[in-house]
Amino acid sequence: MPRFGTLSATWMVWDGPAPAPGGAVLEQTRELDKFLAEIERRAFRMAQIALRDPEDALDVVQDAMLKLARNYGARPSAEWRPLFYRILQNGVRDLQRRRTVRKRFMTWLPGPKEDPDNEAQDPLDSVADLSPSAPDRLMQDQAMQKLEESLRGLPARQREAFMLRNFEGFDVAQTARTMGCSEGSVKTHYSRAVHTLREQLGEVW
Amino acid sequence: MSIRTLEPRLPELEQRSRVLFQGSVDDLDMATRSRLTRARHAALEAAGPVGRRAWFARIPIWTSAAGVTAAAVFGVALWFGAPTAHHGVMSADNPMNLEDLELVASSDENSGDAMEMLQDDIEFYDWAEKATSTEPVA
Repeated sequence: MPRFGTLSATWMVWDGPAPAPGGAVLEQTRELDKFLAEIERRAFRMAQIALRDPEDALDVVQDAMLKLARNYGARPSAEWRPLFYRILQNGVRDLQRRRTVRKRFMTWLPGPKEDPDNEAQDPLDSVADLSPSAPDRLMQDQAMQKLEESLRGLPARQREAFMLRNFEGFDVAQTARTMGCSEGSVKTHYSRAVHTLREQLGEVW
Repeated sequence: MSIRTLEPRLPELEQRSRVLFQGSVDDLDMATRSRLTRARHAALEAAGPVGRRAWFARIPIWTSAAGVTAAAVFGVALWFGAPTAHHGVMSADNPMNLEDLELVASSDENSGDAMEMLQDDIEFYDWAEKATSTEPVA
């Protein structure tokens, strides 16, 4: 027996949400804007930790925002957070894969060697902010830098599990849904990540 | 679920890493914040009004493909089902064209027969005319 509101013929099935009226659409757009505003900085930092490059991180975050708004904006707002982070993690993984391929390809091509004097990075970036009013800030920055380096050294799945569980505050079930794996896998990834980080950061912290 | 609410039961490493991460988020420079805001606005603008999509955008793509296929089948059926003479193909090998030619040819022959018939019965027509003119009026 066909469900109410669903046509029985397979070629006519339409189970999507009904079009929202104008006021509701505006309200939902505002709600999505608020959600993205709340999440964007943490998402950026997580992407930056994984990718290192802030430009790449910004691109991935913007792409995730666009995909969420375009494909899942009409979904209930409770679903946005895991969906957004799933899109973000996929974007990060895609970019890392492309980088690996590009790196392999570039090793085959003869090209000019990198000029150490022509670094793309701004030298001022490496200058620490030695503000006397914040002596603890320097220590915090150094600790965060160590943490970032250690996180980058982790396998991608372990890093994702650690960041989602610890930085974003997801529980095991939410993390599993976001990562597209079982809860058991999340527990394994997370515990291995914590073990490795403890080994590497124990002395520093 | 707020990351600011620290759980006391969390081991030191997790707790400390969480605090450090949140600190790095809060310390993001204004330029990056501004770029993130612009990126968000651009994404929302590009996506259009949330939840409103044109009715044709909701139709699955295979529905359109099925429509195009049905139209193509209908067109082919019309083409092969129509009389051959309407196809507009003129060829000497076509039987319908040969029939047409025979009709044209036969129309000339028929007109010749009529003239012969007229010559054979000319005496009868001559008699009939005389008989009509000499017949006394009653």
